[in-house]
Amino acid sequence: MFKPLSTLLAGLIVSFYCQAQETFPQNGAYDERPGRFAFTNATIVVDPKTTIENGTLLIENGTVIQAGKQVKLPAGAVTIDLKGKYIYPSLIDLDSDYGMPEVRRERPAGGRQTPQLESNKKGAFGWNQAIQSENDASLIFTPDAKKAADLRKIGFGTVLVHPHDGIVRGNGAVVTLTDEPANKALLNRKASAHFSFSKGTSSQTYPSSTMGVVALLRQNYYDAEWYARTPKAKEANLSLEAFNEIKNLPSFFETGDKYSVLRADKVGDEFGVQYIIKGGGDEYQRISEIKATKATLILPVQFPEAYDVADPWDADVISMSQLKHWEMAPKNPAEVAKAGIPFAFTSAGLKNKADFLKNIKTAIEYGLTKEKALEALTTLPAALIKAENQIGSLKPGMLANFIITSGDLFNKDNVIYENWVQGKKFIISPINAPDIRGTYSLSINNQPGGKLQISGSADKPEYKVVVQDSVKITPKAVLSNELLTLTYQADKKVPGTTRLTGWRNGTGLSGEGVLPSGSVVPWSATLTEKFQQVAAADTAVAKIKETGPVVYPFVGFGNEELPKSETVLIRNATVWTNEKEGILQNSDVVVQNGKITKVGKSLNAPSGAKTIDGTGKHLTSGIIDEHSHIALFTINEGGQTSSAEVRMSDVINPDDINIYRQLAGGVTASHLLHGSANSIGGQSAMIKLKWGATQSEMLVPDVKTIKFALGENVKQSNWGDVARVRFPQTRMGVEQVYFDHFLRAKEYAKSWKSFNGTSKKVAANAPRRDIELDALAEILDNQRFITCHSYVQSEINMLMHVADSLKFRINTFTHILEGYKLADGMAKRGIGGSTFADWWAYKMEVKEAIPYNAALMYHEGVTVAINSDDAEMARRLNQEAAKTVEYGGVPEEEAWKMVTLNPAKLLHVDNRMGSIKAGKDADLVLWNAHPLSVYARPEFTMVEGTVYFDRKKDEEKQKSMQLEREKLIQKMLSDKSEGKPTQKPQATQPKMWHCEDIVGVHTEHEGTR
Amino acid sequence: MIQKIIAGTINTLITLAAISPAFSQNPAPALPQSKPMVLTGATIHVGNGQVIQNGVIAFDKGIITYVGAAGSNPAAAGAETVEVKGKHIFPGVISLNTTVGLQEIATVRATLDFAEVGEINPHVRALVAYNTDSEVIPTLRGNGILVSQAVPQGGVISGSSSVFYSDGWNWEDAVLKKDDGIWVSWPPFLASSFNYDDFSVSTKRNDKRQEVIDLIRATFSEAKGYNAVAEPASVNLRMAALKPVLAGTANLYIRAEYAKDIIEAVKLAKEFDIKRVVIVGGDEAYKVAAFLKENQVSVVLNPTHRLPGRVDENVYMPYELPGLLHKAGVKVAITYADEWWRTRNLAFLAGTSSGFGNVTPEEALQFVTKNAAEIIGAEREVGTLEKGKHASLIVSEGDILDMRGNVVGMVFVKGGKVNLDDKQKRLYEKYKTKYGKK
Repeated sequence: MFKPLSTLLAGLIVSFYCQAQETFPQNGAYDERPGRFAFTNATIVVDPKTTIENGTLLIENGTVIQAGKQVKLPAGAVTIDLKGKYIYPSLIDLDSDYGMPEVRRERPAGGRQTPQLESNKKGAFGWNQAIQSENDASLIFTPDAKKAADLRKIGFGTVLVHPHDGIVRGNGAVVTLTDEPANKALLNRKASAHFSFSKGTSSQTYPSSTMGVVALLRQNYYDAEWYARTPKAKEANLSLEAFNEIKNLPSFFETGDKYSVLRADKVGDEFGVQYIIKGGGDEYQRISEIKATKATLILPVQFPEAYDVADPWDADVISMSQLKHWEMAPKNPAEVAKAGIPFAFTSAGLKNKADFLKNIKTAIEYGLTKEKALEALTTLPAALIKAENQIGSLKPGMLANFIITSGDLFNKDNVIYENWVQGKKFIISPINAPDIRGTYSLSINNQPGGKLQISGSADKPEYKVVVQDSVKITPKAVLSNELLTLTYQADKKVPGTTRLTGWRNGTGLSGEGVLPSGSVVPWSATLTEKFQQVAAADTAVAKIKETGPVVYPFVGFGNEELPKSETVLIRNATVWTNEKEGILQNSDVVVQNGKITKVGKSLNAPSGAKTIDGTGKHLTSGIIDEHSHIALFTINEGGQTSSAEVRMSDVINPDDINIYRQLAGGVTASHLLHGSANSIGGQSAMIKLKWGATQSEMLVPDVKTIKFALGENVKQSNWGDVARVRFPQTRMGVEQVYFDHFLRAKEYAKSWKSFNGTSKKVAANAPRRDIELDALAEILDNQRFITCHSYVQSEINMLMHVADSLKFRINTFTHILEGYKLADGMAKRGIGGSTFADWWAYKMEVKEAIPYNAALMYHEGVTVAINSDDAEMARRLNQEAAKTVEYGGVPEEEAWKMVTLNPAKLLHVDNRMGSIKAGKDADLVLWNAHPLSVYARPEFTMVEGTVYFDRKKDEEKQKSMQLEREKLIQKMLSDKSEGKPTQKPQATQPKMWHCEDIVGVHTEHEGTR
Repeated sequence: MIQKIIAGTINTLITLAAISPAFSQNPAPALPQSKPMVLTGATIHVGNGQVIQNGVIAFDKGIITYVGAAGSNPAAAGAETVEVKGKHIFPGVISLNTTVGLQEIATVRATLDFAEVGEINPHVRALVAYNTDSEVIPTLRGNGILVSQAVPQGGVISGSSSVFYSDGWNWEDAVLKKDDGIWVSWPPFLASSFNYDDFSVSTKRNDKRQEVIDLIRATFSEAKGYNAVAEPASVNLRMAALKPVLAGTANLYIRAEYAKDIIEAVKLAKEFDIKRVVIVGGDEAYKVAAFLKENQVSVVLNPTHRLPGRVDENVYMPYELPGLLHKAGVKVAITYADEWWRTRNLAFLAGTSSGFGNVTPEEALQFVTKNAAEIIGAEREVGTLEKGKHASLIVSEGDILDMRGNVVGMVFVKGGKVNLDDKQKRLYEKYKTKYGKK
């Protein structure tokens, strides 16, 4: 082991030039020096596009004077000959916590906690602890000598720092990595604004979900706008004030994955802000959507280690997406560059900072150009923080922030010798270390002592002592200033260490040693053979490393190529039309351009149509699950009694395998609901199950619905004694929650109406925009429809009365297990019922649930749907619908409508979904048997004419996944045998949710509805 | 319209319920069979794969006396013959591994009696906690569930289970097999944890399991020592409770899901020469099917209406699992595990295993009848419709494995005709009254 002692001493070398703190008194005589240095004969990379061979860099007083071929050296310049060496502008990291106080996040205790409804931060700040606009990085910046040295070692000279805590994190500051006082290091006090989706150390309950974070951030923008234009605001609010000061700075949004990148950009779009977004390194998985954001990215370079897959059963836990990401992650920067997306690199997130350049070199092996890499480390980050006239290149007038290297920065064996910050030298590795490599014959105490082989690189020599022909020993070695120390155990069988210390003596080495016996002896090493560089393989045309293909979505069962909409004739099937035609025997259906175009007998195949024989099979419209929580990253914003402001569309996860699983059960659309943790939940999202498509392609935007909830969940009766704080705790309180919120929403709508009605609108007089009340006002305006989680008749009657008196509509009662007791009241008001076929007994409020519920509601004229609330049950909703025939005698055709046409009606999409009729979406399922039979399974499931699940293709997919998996595992095994680090097998996947789940709280299966 | 009710021969019951709206307890259990019964004309699904079209089944004093083609049976004096043409007769469905009778409302602690405190509780018995007055039980027999195994949960050794008929005055009366086995939970090979930062769940090697395995081994080896002494100086209830398992007269049920757990669990049982070993859960049993067959270990599966265990697993794996094991020669039963009220859907799990797997409906039927009976050692009493066994059977409109056919009209337990009324039917009737539909 070779340790450059010189770097340890670097901190002790005090230099006095370019002192700038004029106001500071000086202890002893003033010592100001001009700091005039000329670096000659170097290859100077001025910026990624400009390289000067054999040039000179002249700096003075911490600033670049000139870099060029012909530089006139002023008198008194200290000249440093850098023949064969390179100079680069030093690197810039924009996502740094250097010099910032440590963010200590208390691990939340297990289980539910007593909610904290108010901020713990005292003072005239905003209401939410996670909005910390007032945090000013320049005020809390404290230089940290050790961290600065670590960053300089990997080539950094300047960093943008901010406290990584909260959703709004305040402003960032630009600082250099000098060891001089902060006054010197601080370049720009307020360079940037910072954001994230993580509430950080905030102990406040709200927001408890990602969609809650989005809502809080949006509301914060609106509040700040209002605060700015309302001089006589009722409150002093330092957080909003600070926000208004920083909101126009370059804004950085920290995210951790591709979908968060998209989500952040969407928030920015609403407020005309183009965030610079720190990604998670998986952008290649959705590259065209990422590109469409037009965001500049900050890319991390931590690449996953291979998993230890030696045990095949252990390895089973690792998913395809993990295997593939392991293979493809190093390719991410190249893919981002290829897509033309501008990006900067950050060292943030690296377990070991020393891996930084190594990993960028890996990225280059996967196709990233060196020019792009350098740009991402210098000019581009400089421009992002508007510091392009200060840092990032070596043009005249720039800070003298540069590094001296042995060769091309991105070459495998490159060494960084020195890192100059603001004209001050920091030695990383001795610049002119002697090359002592070669083979020596060793003589100890004038006896032959075997051979000493020194190889490796000149800067990092590797040592071997060969005592007999075959026994190679790796000694411990320290080389410094031509002094060498070697310690080793000469004979494995005999304990005892030989210690040699010596110096370079001509071409050899000599010195004194101590043997294990204690005798002090002379030793020497005579060079017998000069070091021969093994000719490296032709690096000029190094082949770009290859990987498997990206699949959409990036999980098992994903598609390399997305399936396309087809022209199809399904022939001679039993067709369940859900229309007045009823069930047609031996009939045909034609699908074109994603729509059903014809339904009838003996139809002609349109040109180019694929004909599918439906003989003996049943064709139905696709199942629509009225109550689902699949494909979501989080589900409950339980931090407040009303969370009408949150949108499930902010947390859609197109990678959820449950999308594919539901397709395999004949489901083509799912209504994704907020959970039932509060009386007024969030805005729902309806998606079509287009496996592999994007979030926006899946979303059905015209479905505008919202989740409400009643009963045990909203009054938190099963959450233990810790949950006795949030209002309401009784069904009495629930009624008042609704009155209170809707009365406020009415007033709110009225104030907007009167504002919009004024002829001369003065923006300053506009009411404060409130996104929670916006949603409620939409309900009052019949623009948004309520799906209410409900169980017992008393509270359901209550809500119907509240709605009657305030003149809003309940669209659907979901669960509605006691709907049979009040079906007449529902029918009278045109309220639908979306229920389980036979669930009961899982909690007190379902004690009187009966499986005849659907039938009784149906017979009373209620539009009834059967839903799942569960990713498992959803894939056999046909079986659940069948139970309504068993219990209560619903006709089979009507039972089938309960999972197709009726949910379409309840979601107001029956004009395009829910039945087989010309002109409607071709969302179709071909069943091998009567669809209400337990023996029925889908042959294929089609969404808008595109087959997303096909039974035969599913089997082929399983086989090809097996092959791909084995290929990747073999690659991992060879990594392991090459000695690369591995990690224990571990699977990670988003949690699957039920209605009642609160972040981090495990609830028993039965308690989730 | 009310197909299910009218279909059967229980119109009298409905009338009874309708005129006694205050009748809110479970109906009285069936009285002992008073005269020979003959059911004729139905399709008889014997339960061993045999199907008799237009068959006849006769029973007396609670025991089946004849099963065969219609018209072939010797007439019994004074027998009541019921024509059930077009209907289907099945053996009563057996539901293993449940908490039926031990829990009523999941969120009401006072109604939960299935998990005792402590880790090593072989001495606690489900037998005495089984509540025949549970309102859940009558809803089960309406779908053909005639036998339930009530099983304790929790801890490492949870206690002993007992098997009950879905009809009886009290546990003494309802019990079919007392203390049929001891339940052990093998520590799972993988453990999951929730990540608060990104709302994900991580699954990795469970590093805490060896100490649990050591505890199980220590317990069994000390129990072996304890039970080798004819009359121990001081009685240890826990040690004594393990005797029937060590002696091979009761089952050792081991809950184990991952392949490695299953192998370790079976090997530990063999180490103590335990004869009757049953793996419960068995999500990955298909990986070790050959091992299970070789060691003649049966598997009681978790609910197969579940999602695949891993994201990349075959979407239909849980549905196919019973068939895969069956075809590999492993005796397998399907259960609803602790989802007590859902056990009424047990036959549909079997149906699904046929619809999505490579087994016929008659084979699938055995997963909830014959195999289950054999696993609990009650094959002489229940599981198939054969001469000499209990006349515990159901008469259905059609195939009980299919929701479309599972319309149970008559149920006999040990020859006694069971009242099929339940709380839910009473509420149904009550609200039909409200809507003037009666």
